Amino acid sequence: MTSSATRAVPTGLDQLLSGKVREARRVRTGIPELDEMLRGGFMEGDAVLLAGSAGTGKTTLGLQYLVNGVSKFNEAGVYVTFEELPDRIYRDAANFGWDLRRMEEENMFKAVCTSPNLLLESVNILDETVREIRPKRIVIDSLSHLSMLLEERAFRQEAYRLIMQIKTREISSLLVWESSAAGNSMMLTDVGLSYLVDCVIMLKPVEIESSIRKALAVLKMRGSDHDKRLREFEITPTGVKIESAFTNYEGLTSGVPRKVASEKFMEMFRKASETR
Amino acid sequence: MSGAAQVLVKLLATEATGDLLVLFHKNPGLIDTIDAVARRIGKTGPGVESDIKALVELGILKRRKIGSLEVFSLDRQKDREIQETVAKHLKSDREGRNP
Repeated sequence: MTSSATRAVPTGLDQLLSGKVREARRVRTGIPELDEMLRGGFMEGDAVLLAGSAGTGKTTLGLQYLVNGVSKFNEAGVYVTFEELPDRIYRDAANFGWDLRRMEEENMFKAVCTSPNLLLESVNILDETVREIRPKRIVIDSLSHLSMLLEERAFRQEAYRLIMQIKTREISSLLVWESSAAGNSMMLTDVGLSYLVDCVIMLKPVEIESSIRKALAVLKMRGSDHDKRLREFEITPTGVKIESAFTNYEGLTSGVPRKVASEKFMEMFRKASETR
Repeated sequence: MSGAAQVLVKLLATEATGDLLVLFHKNPGLIDTIDAVARRIGKTGPGVESDIKALVELGILKRRKIGSLEVFSLDRQKDREIQETVAKHLKSDREGRNP
């Protein structure tokens, strides 16, 4: 369930009192290919930004991270939603075979639905839930809602405060961010959010040969090596499934993908051999 | 009128009370202000204020302060108790009418 990591982080009063500095463990997503990309999982207690445009699967990935935490690693999780009511989340999750209501009854999962301004007012709104189920994971869906209430500078300050409040509770957070679908670059937010988090995962639709496919990349992971490749992924009936890297294409994030030279050569060779 | 019957009358007092009950039952993790709760059932804060207060008096909803704001959430334990009481009342009432 855990593996040692290269970074040592002093977290928690117990460590201060004992004078010991604990080796950071990895928090596995439970999606084998993603954990492999992350060299074992997220670093415990880290804030992870999960950015992507609408329909890329951010909520599904966030829920899968929590569901796997419960079912595979016995770690309770909290899902915070602002706009979408939990009963829709329960329904959508059931389509993937995830019984969130049962997990709630077992005190291993809680869906908290509130207004973004309340979370900004005080993260204490989650205290009762934290006391009840002692979560190790939290998904906030989404930070974009918080950004609508504040000016850019104030938002960055508030996002930083929120991230630090969650960190002091020793909970690993996945912060969902809805980025623009129009952008052709790797720029995820206009507010410099990626500086505040420890890890950034980008989900991006890419057009290849007139069809839309989905790409996932780990853009940043503080204190750890990670897979730098752009990997294809699909939303399957059981959740997110990460496939192989887009090795035959380049320029995918620019919005103008083209086959790499070696692939063009191989294609010419194949065509030539077919015509003989 | 028995205690359970009085509770039932209060629960069914208005359409908004019914909507609020359904909202909180389907979404037990909902924690919000009166205005935000009202929006989630397509109503306004002033329009549901008295209904929310009635549910607080019954113990179904809890009221607390988050910073400067007053928020409401479902008291799951109390809610279960009230549901059982009302269910028992309805059952005995049915049996009384159809012995």
